[in-house]
Amino acid sequence: MKKIILLYLTLLNIAFAYNYDDVLLKAQASIFPKIMLLDKKVEDKLIRGEIVYTIVYDKYDYNKALEVGGYINETYKGYFHKYKYKINFVDVLELSDKTEASAIYVLNVEKETQKVADIAKKKGVISFSYDIGNLKNGLMFSLVIEKSTVLYLKKENLYNQKVEFVDSLLQIVRFTESDNIKNKVLLNNGSEFDIKYAKTVIDIFYN
Amino acid sequence: MKHKFSYKRCGFIITFFLTSCVSNSHATTDDIMASISGDMAYFNEVATATKQNEHYQPYIISVFQGKELEKLGISNLKEALRLVPGVDMATDNFNNQTPIFRGSNSLAYGQSKLFIDDVPVNNLFFDAYSEYLGMPIEMIKRIEVIRGPGSKTDGVNAYAGSINVITYAEEFEGFETNDNVVAKYASHDYRMGGFMKTYKSKDLKVFVDFYYQQDDKKLPSGPDGLSRGALGANNIPLSQSGDAPLWLKDYSLGVNIKYKDFSIKSRLLEHTQGSAYGINLALPLESDRLKLPSYYLEAGYDKEINDFKVDIKAGVKYDAFDSYSKLAPDGLVLGPSTFLDGIYGEHYALQRTLYQSSYLKYSGISNHVITTGYRLINEETIDMSSKLSNRATGDVALVDYTNTLPFFDADAKRDIAIFSLQDEFSFNNDLSFIYGFNYEQTSYQNAGFEPRISMVYQLDTKNIFKAIYSRSHRNASWQEMFTMNNRARVGSSDLEPEKVDAFEVAYINKFSNDSYLQTNLFYLLNKNQIHNSTTDPVYKNIVDTDIYGLELEYKGHISSVDQLYMNYSYVTGTSNIRDIAKSEALSNVAHHLAKGYYIYNLNPSFSLSGLAYYVGSKNRVSTDAREKVDAYTSFDTALQYKNLQNDYTLTFSIKNIFDADIRYPSAQNTYSQDYAQERRTFLISLKKEF
Repeated sequence: MKKIILLYLTLLNIAFAYNYDDVLLKAQASIFPKIMLLDKKVEDKLIRGEIVYTIVYDKYDYNKALEVGGYINETYKGYFHKYKYKINFVDVLELSDKTEASAIYVLNVEKETQKVADIAKKKGVISFSYDIGNLKNGLMFSLVIEKSTVLYLKKENLYNQKVEFVDSLLQIVRFTESDNIKNKVLLNNGSEFDIKYAKTVIDIFYN
Repeated sequence: MKHKFSYKRCGFIITFFLTSCVSNSHATTDDIMASISGDMAYFNEVATATKQNEHYQPYIISVFQGKELEKLGISNLKEALRLVPGVDMATDNFNNQTPIFRGSNSLAYGQSKLFIDDVPVNNLFFDAYSEYLGMPIEMIKRIEVIRGPGSKTDGVNAYAGSINVITYAEEFEGFETNDNVVAKYASHDYRMGGFMKTYKSKDLKVFVDFYYQQDDKKLPSGPDGLSRGALGANNIPLSQSGDAPLWLKDYSLGVNIKYKDFSIKSRLLEHTQGSAYGINLALPLESDRLKLPSYYLEAGYDKEINDFKVDIKAGVKYDAFDSYSKLAPDGLVLGPSTFLDGIYGEHYALQRTLYQSSYLKYSGISNHVITTGYRLINEETIDMSSKLSNRATGDVALVDYTNTLPFFDADAKRDIAIFSLQDEFSFNNDLSFIYGFNYEQTSYQNAGFEPRISMVYQLDTKNIFKAIYSRSHRNASWQEMFTMNNRARVGSSDLEPEKVDAFEVAYINKFSNDSYLQTNLFYLLNKNQIHNSTTDPVYKNIVDTDIYGLELEYKGHISSVDQLYMNYSYVTGTSNIRDIAKSEALSNVAHHLAKGYYIYNLNPSFSLSGLAYYVGSKNRVSTDAREKVDAYTSFDTALQYKNLQNDYTLTFSIKNIFDADIRYPSAQNTYSQDYAQERRTFLISLKKEF
């Protein structure tokens, strides 16, 4: 029995890496580009008149990055709403301030997420993470399949000057636990109120 | 002509322009928000259907993906089920193999249910599904195994566990699967060929799968049951040892059709196997055979109208027990007759099951989803024949005893009506409950009212807790109710259903999106368990068992290029044997089970894997003087090559590398050396996708 308990405790404490879940990858590939369009300042992020959606990957995951790119192309057929887009595939080791990006989507990157977050912050672009665990390193959004599909936002990682989301997005996001305001939403002016009131306000506004 | 500047006109134009802009902006935002909501709803649906959100569901479930199992060199459904936590395999003299969940009545069948694409396929004769265990893994997209009674809203009672095999007929937009052909060759001259094909037009989708497989497996067995007096003390010297015919020949054709809101699911399985260890426990001839065909067709209508969702199904299923075998050796003496050339028998019973169910789901009340409906089942034996060598003269030629001495009740029939009501209540984002009941009446003994309540609490993104209470039952199988004129088994239509009250709690620690550790504890109060023995062949409700234990299941990675899966389960308890007022430890149950696999992806084309199983020793019943059934450990390995350019996969695997002696326990006074299983074997498979 002691051995079993020891094995159990060991399992609980080992840091494990990831593998990819196809449903989650496709959900993220479908939804993240649309989130970007809810930024009121999306036009400021155009590069030569188009959106550059940068997918950052570890060297082992190049094929997975291509797969995600392929799925985005299949879904969007060249346009995110009215904006033409280009997908930029970048090995995390080659990512720098000079890398062109209107938004950054990070696949499974074990060690360099802080660097990716810093670059996204410096550029003032939205960052999306495959793994919700990377929000603590400074990335902004992740999407998780729980009982239902949940879009998580790390409040602290909002760069208010350069990104300004429409209020209705806040209807559907959930904040990560460390924000300690699970049921509250953040408004553009930085104030917070309970999501049920936000929902009511938005319902009234749109109906 | 000059236009006069007008502040009023200018103001109007500016107001119109701004209103248009704001209105367009709202329209755009609304469109995008609606599109995101639509995407989220769609992926919710996919995640729920494919059990991606399994950890948030109110039952204890393990999910195995077919393609991952292929990488491990797993060949069929049976091999895959060996991986499930808390599940051990058992067999009998028919080689009617069955998974035993959490040590529950290892001598009965029907304690678990098998579904193929949500259609229940347990045969009526045994309430088992041995004929489906050979289903090739290449035909299986996913296996979902619920331990414990699980969900019952569809009116099908799972007692100890349920297995849902999802074929590649399941398809979602954006997740299309390829057509393929597959061929396999393995030890015992096993040969298999099959294909899958999807035809699609605007509203119509037709999916077809087909496979053929056969082998010439025979394994050393014996001494047979005659050595223990199964056919009388005077015949003990006639006992034999030798190769038990365990060969197999299967054809299977599955057709699934979907047209708008209508669907048809059908399968035709022709399963023939060697007569194994003999109906009467006498080692049969190599060519003796048992056919267990299974045919089903289910038509469905599924429609969502506002807050209502209606699900109507009607189906028919045929299964048969069809045996031709030498039942006793040359020189057998039975009463006044001596059978110089032995006894031969031909037994046939064809069963038909008709069912119809209607369920209505209503989600119009905030935070509630209410499901209610009924399921009606009619089960009937529609043909039966019973032929034996002449019992009076001992002559070997078959005599028709269908009317005078049938092996089975030709008028066997049972009607079942089940009503169910359930509410799924989401208290908030983190806490949800499901509660409801099933009420069942049959034309024999009723199961009655069976409640269920469960709770799932998500503390945060990493920690999930579940608590479940449920009551369920297993109705007696046809064999247990209607077999007659047989020395080994005699049915009784007075049997009460076996009942279980299950208490389960689980804790899931999610390390990341796809690595987790699931821990669960269970306590099962089983009543009215059905047993018989060679000394008293009449089936009776004579055992109550209290079972408790725990299961650990880990899935994750050591690096980003590998996959690791491990589970451990512990089960213990007591059996209270009512007719002799005696309690004893659980028999024929391994207290410790541990399984696991590791896949290392050398590069995108090559993967190397290892599989390990440990099955602990098993106690005998207290009256059985034999030693415990020995524990065993076995290891498998597989190498898979995937040609990404031409879409074909080649897998080579070796099973039971160290040639472990694996034996499934035999009942007391039957095959004293238990049922030996395969030693080291190999498998080669080739699959081409289109």
